[in-house]
Amino acid sequence: MILDTLGVGLLGTSTPVFNTVLQCSQRQQALENSKVWGRPGLSLPPHYAAFVNGVAVHSMDFDDTWHPATHPSGAVLPALLALAETLPVKPSGLELLLAFSVGIEVQGRLLRFSKEAHNIPKRFHPPAVVGIMGSAAATAKLLGLPAAQSIAALAIACSSAGAPMANAATQTKPLHMGNAARGGLEASQLALLGLEGNTQILDLESGFGAFYPDYVPYPLAEVTPTSHYSWVLEDQNIAQKRFPAHLGMHWVADAAIEARAKFLDKYPNADLSQIKKITLRVPSSKYVDCPLPLSEHQARHSFQFNCCTALLDGEVIVDSFSKSQMNRSALKEMLWKVRLENPQDNHSSFEKMYCEIAVETTQGETFTARCNTFYGHWRKPLSHEDLVRKFRANASTVLTADVVEGIIYTVDRLDTNQDCSMLWSYMHFNKHVMHRDERRYSALA
Amino acid sequence: INVCTQRSTRYVSAISAARGLHKSALDVAKRPAPEETVTSSFGRFIQSVQPRHLSPTVLQRSKRMVLDSIGVGLLGSTTDVFELALQHCQHMYAPDDVSFVYGRQGMKLSPTLAAFVNGVAAHSMDFDDTWHPATHPSGAVLPALLAISDMLHNNSKPSGLDFLTAFNVGIEIQGRLMRFSDEAHNIPKRFHPPSVVGTLGSAAACARLLSLDRSQCSNALAIAASLAGAPMANAATQSKPLHIGNASRLGLEAALLASRGLEASPLVLDAVPGVAGFSAFYEDYAPHPISSLEEDEHSFLIEMQDIAFKRFPAHLGMHWIADAAAVVHKTLVGLKGGSISPNLVQDILLRVPLSKYINRPFPETEHQARHSFQFNACTALLDGEVTVQSFQPEALLRPELHALLSRVRLEHPHDNPANFNIMYGEVEVTLVSGDVLRGRCDTFYGHWRNPLSQESLQKKFRSNAGAVLSNKRVERLIEAVEGLDHLDDCKPVLAQLQ
Repeated sequence: MILDTLGVGLLGTSTPVFNTVLQCSQRQQALENSKVWGRPGLSLPPHYAAFVNGVAVHSMDFDDTWHPATHPSGAVLPALLALAETLPVKPSGLELLLAFSVGIEVQGRLLRFSKEAHNIPKRFHPPAVVGIMGSAAATAKLLGLPAAQSIAALAIACSSAGAPMANAATQTKPLHMGNAARGGLEASQLALLGLEGNTQILDLESGFGAFYPDYVPYPLAEVTPTSHYSWVLEDQNIAQKRFPAHLGMHWVADAAIEARAKFLDKYPNADLSQIKKITLRVPSSKYVDCPLPLSEHQARHSFQFNCCTALLDGEVIVDSFSKSQMNRSALKEMLWKVRLENPQDNHSSFEKMYCEIAVETTQGETFTARCNTFYGHWRKPLSHEDLVRKFRANASTVLTADVVEGIIYTVDRLDTNQDCSMLWSYMHFNKHVMHRDERRYSALA
Repeated sequence: INVCTQRSTRYVSAISAARGLHKSALDVAKRPAPEETVTSSFGRFIQSVQPRHLSPTVLQRSKRMVLDSIGVGLLGSTTDVFELALQHCQHMYAPDDVSFVYGRQGMKLSPTLAAFVNGVAAHSMDFDDTWHPATHPSGAVLPALLAISDMLHNNSKPSGLDFLTAFNVGIEIQGRLMRFSDEAHNIPKRFHPPSVVGTLGSAAACARLLSLDRSQCSNALAIAASLAGAPMANAATQSKPLHIGNASRLGLEAALLASRGLEASPLVLDAVPGVAGFSAFYEDYAPHPISSLEEDEHSFLIEMQDIAFKRFPAHLGMHWIADAAAVVHKTLVGLKGGSISPNLVQDILLRVPLSKYINRPFPETEHQARHSFQFNACTALLDGEVTVQSFQPEALLRPELHALLSRVRLEHPHDNPANFNIMYGEVEVTLVSGDVLRGRCDTFYGHWRNPLSQESLQKKFRSNAGAVLSNKRVERLIEAVEGLDHLDDCKPVLAQLQ
């Protein structure tokens, strides 16, 4: 999870939304500073470093997804790295991993307090609800706060939780992640200074329960030095995306790729404009039903767009969401041919949903395919090889090969590392910046 | 689950949803032009409303709000929670920034952080203004506007009228938003209103003062929506003041982000079935657009619905019960003379609305005491009034007070709903002698139905501001705010606060 998150974060530093928030955050000056990923020489106050790096992680909707639905790592890791950098005694890799796991665990436990949380969200964007709590818990852990202050951190964070779904599929969505990371860190620091909140914040309907219509909390199991603790992550694995789009798009892409293969198998030289009609049977979810996306953000949240891209290209990749790819006339024409159906048995839940596609040709033939579990889903996780390949592809857009390998190496051995400060140092490079310097030197020579 | 009323047939997507159909590409091409959405009407309003739209009533009332808010902010700068928030911000950011901090002469912070700490100050003692439907509108808006004013170059400070226009935009937006929900008319149970509407009010006001174009104004609101919403559970705790601080700061951040081109949902204020925008914060959300300023004269809400200023720093509900108890106190003094002894009292019955977070029989902290019917009733019974000093630690620990507290019980009559426009407070004291004394308050002095006189408001301001500023500065501030709409620039106000 850490490796994948670092990779998508680095890739995300090339996005416009990242640049906007970075410019905004640079107004501040500070006594303590933490590194901004992919911007050598640039540091910001820890909150703002956590903010911009968190935005980077979610900027392309490429980060991990869990069940019940949220993107857990992006809210926690940027906050932890920003904080760790400012600590007088740097944490060991194991301490960092522990704090990270606490941040994930808290999110998982909170999500299980509501049945509604198990479905694709309609009201509040989960990273803004549980993500900030995870960030508060993780940073409190890393700071070594006693129980009472950890509770205060959660209570303070709760007052900054929650962002409505309407901003999904817009440029503002990545800020939900950035704010979750930042808000959780801030909450821990306020708690450390002595600020108090409601000590029963997780018990009350008027507390964390405010974000759910069906909130039934229960206490966590006790942790003793000798007992075994059962982590949510052990029972429930995580999904890592193969391309930067909303999770629901991955079912659609896999089904479309299969249907395309069947079509081309029978007619190897077929022209895809022979497709007359495309039917997608998907769960009902308004914010990813977008017939004609105009922005990349909308495209990442469009069943129709991802279906057509997969049909045309046989794959969906990072570049599929670039302006030039989005503007292809063949793609635009195909979008008009798609219609969605919401079968009763197709539940709006990342645990239960499927995608069925039926491609009808002008000759009257129909090719169908169905995807129940896409490759990368928690039921069919990416192989280690493929995960590392994704990381290399992402990280190489910003870092040189040796730094990329350095991060892979460091994360792989994180639990045995006494000093993990290499991690944020590595994240601080940018091969494009180096390039310009080199050219300058060679001009002088 | 949102119960969203369907808008008219202009909303094709809504109709499709009702029929269970999907938007085909063809339907989407007929999507309504941006001007017609609720969200864009707000963006348009913010950008296009002019000083001339401000009526005399609006000018007068808003200046009163500005004065009161500065005063409570200055007083609030003496609280622990303020000191904590300030340390936090100073620790994080170097002190060579531009915006003033209440009660800290010479100290500056970045504009967003100044907005944060000054907002915390404003709400730190629950002494700031309250409106109907319920929220504390000024504390979310004023700190951000003052912070921006400090930020702007000396030659381009806003005029007093520009400042007042932006302020009123921030208040108006909050009022409009709250009227989109019936539930918002009652004492809140779920989300603390300043964190919901206050954040958007701040964003609107800042967008206006920064002269953003109408699309940027709409985006500022939408960005702010993702920063809104804090649960009620933190009310009556030390964290509550941060709700206003954050509303102010985050609204300003939203406006700044919008000015740099960040975009968000163009339908955030509209009711879109299946995807919650601002509606996420309400069970019953029914929005409507602000009418265009070209068509009709705009009527600001503050004109038809005045605001309440508090006489002592506690939750609004406490003011009814304090006034009712004061009546009983007066009667008792008349009967027995001298000070009230708890031994005279057998039983104290309070008839109040049902609201869990202000029902606290034995408050332990000042924050809890400000949110306790019982505490405020007994204080008023003992002293004849509730004041700033009533919440000091020594006052909280008085044995006579504790004796009275143990004799209090609450009743929630059906005709006393949890609504600041309708509620009343009744105190019934049974003496050991058998006599029963009653006091009732339907409208406390300071409520919008019985507003503080200008004299009383200024007296409150002098008492608050005088805690941290010299008399000279206090008087200059009163004068500057009084004449705000005639100032060429607002420097006279800012100068006294630096």
